[in-house]
Amino acid sequence: MMPWLEAFHRPTTIAEALRLMKRGGRRARFVAGATDLLVEADPAARILVDVGRLGLAYIKPHRGGWRIGAATTMAMLEQSEGMRAFAGGILARAAAASGSIQIRNRATAGGNLANASPAADLAPPLLVLDAQVVIAGQKGKRRLPLADFFKGVCQTALKGDLLMEIILPPLNRAAGRRGGERSAWSFQKLGRVESDIAIVNAAAGVGVDAGGRCRWARIAVGAVAPTPLRIAAAESALQGRPLDSESIALACETVCREARPITDLRASVDYRRQMSGVLVRRALEECLAGIEPPRH
Amino acid sequence: MRRDKPKTPERGRKGLSRRDFFRGAGVAVPTGLLASQAKAPKAAKAPAGAAPMLGPGRVPITLRINGKVEKLELEPRVTLLDAMRNYLDITGAKKVCDRGTCGTCTVIMGGDAVYACQVLAIEAQGKAITTIEGLNAGEQLHPMSQAFVNNDAQQCGYCTPGFVVACKAFLDKHPNPTREQIRRGLGGNLCRCGTYTGIERAVLEAAKAVKGGSAHA
Ligand SMILES: Cc1cc2nc3c(=O)[nH]c(=O)nc-3n(C[C@H](O)[C@H](O)[C@H](O)COP(=O)(O)OP(=O)(O)OC[C@H]3O[C@@H](n4cnc5c(N)ncnc54)[C@H](O)[C@@H]3O)c2cc1C
Ligand code: FES
Ligand code: FES
Repeated sequence: MMPWLEAFHRPTTIAEALRLMKRGGRRARFVAGATDLLVEADPAARILVDVGRLGLAYIKPHRGGWRIGAATTMAMLEQSEGMRAFAGGILARAAAASGSIQIRNRATAGGNLANASPAADLAPPLLVLDAQVVIAGQKGKRRLPLADFFKGVCQTALKGDLLMEIILPPLNRAAGRRGGERSAWSFQKLGRVESDIAIVNAAAGVGVDAGGRCRWARIAVGAVAPTPLRIAAAESALQGRPLDSESIALACETVCREARPITDLRASVDYRRQMSGVLVRRALEECLAGIEPPRH
Repeated sequence: MRRDKPKTPERGRKGLSRRDFFRGAGVAVPTGLLASQAKAPKAAKAPAGAAPMLGPGRVPITLRINGKVEKLELEPRVTLLDAMRNYLDITGAKKVCDRGTCGTCTVIMGGDAVYACQVLAIEAQGKAITTIEGLNAGEQLHPMSQAFVNNDAQQCGYCTPGFVVACKAFLDKHPNPTREQIRRGLGGNLCRCGTYTGIERAVLEAAKAVKGGSAHA
């Protein structure tokens, strides 16, 4: 509910959208599905600039990876065959867990990132997928890694600019895949119920060589720090070791150490810290199960 | 689910409905939304095509609800839920949380279940909107509503209109649902009376009824 709202713009070009935002200054906000905006109800937001007519709702294959428009809804992501198949479908899984169907039919990927909640469910999978974001501003377009996009709780590198799309690089290139390598991915979420805001969420991906040794690992957790985080120390704890319960336990300890959670109405610091390790363990165990050679 | 008095909700002492009263008197209600707005006048000065600038002040808004075209003049801040309840007397969708949590305001918009409290009326234009009022065919209950009756799927009934609409939208996409799918797929609606097991049975029954070649299918 935003009783103070004054104006609503429906631009059809990105240039127009940026002009309207500039003119509106501090009073203007972009709006997509409005699922965060109408709940936050910031009284400073008087003018809304809709991103729904800019042609940004798409999921397209792109050089072995994907381009996802900022206005793509959670429902589109979870239903997309491409997203369900890519990297163990972790992005589709995270989208399917992002609120009830009534929310997912409206909520967008761009809104999820631009809102920059530490608990945003798309963030951990996108971080482990090494996603990049494309931003359109007054001075043109820029592209940056998602890891550099989050600046703090509800703070991003956007500064009033438009989030246009999310780029998923091809898996093999980013992972430096070589012969005999097998990889697997996982998304995990802990909430009061799955569709509730996450108490902790996590995503992981691992690549293992023919001898069962971990070539690369990527681990990201959400809701345990001001921004969703990649945990590089936990990733290197796995690298070069056999992926087994011992190395997984080591990685999870590292995650608990690196987590900087807070207490809020959903959970305490201690619970969050401990559960960040548990969720990463579940994620890595799922990965391990996914790459184990078929038993004969 | 049928409304007996479609246009006269909550009759007050002097034969004025509470809504008529708010509207006529320009009383500032807490949301401040009712004060300066009224049902669409005859000649809405609708700008041709997509106007880039909408507001401040009232703007012409055209909604298609339950097959009927409704022309209104509303400020851009008015949600679809408030537009229906306060300006159109379509009160089947209820307002409880007004923040996308409880599901009592669920409507079907362009084939998808959405919370009417989370959609601005201005954004709901151009899409077919179905509320509980639009499900029945004349006197005959929609199979989903009938299944609620048959399975004791309501107690106080406050969550019921939103729940039935959410169930209908769910069945449209999952014609052969499992219990697990029902639980997950309807997680966006809360029932304080705890009628969930009845609702689960109702959805299973309606799924069969719809496949059985009902007129509403
Ligand atoms: C009941 C409920 C349950 C929820 N459950 C979950 C959950 O389980 N997991 C989860 O992750 N989230 C959840 N959310 C939060 C919310 O639904 C998501 O964050 C959603 O993805 C936000 O997208 P939106 O399109 O609705 O954003 P909006 O509300 O439209 O916008 C959010 C913010 O992003 C900005 N913005 C939007 N699009 C752009 C753009 N293209 N460029 C620049 N800025 C932009 C807006 O200005 C605003 O500040 C829930 C919300 C509710 C109300
Ligand atoms: S009133 Fe809309 S979800 Fe509660
Ligand atoms: S029947 Fe009372 S809230 Fe559901």
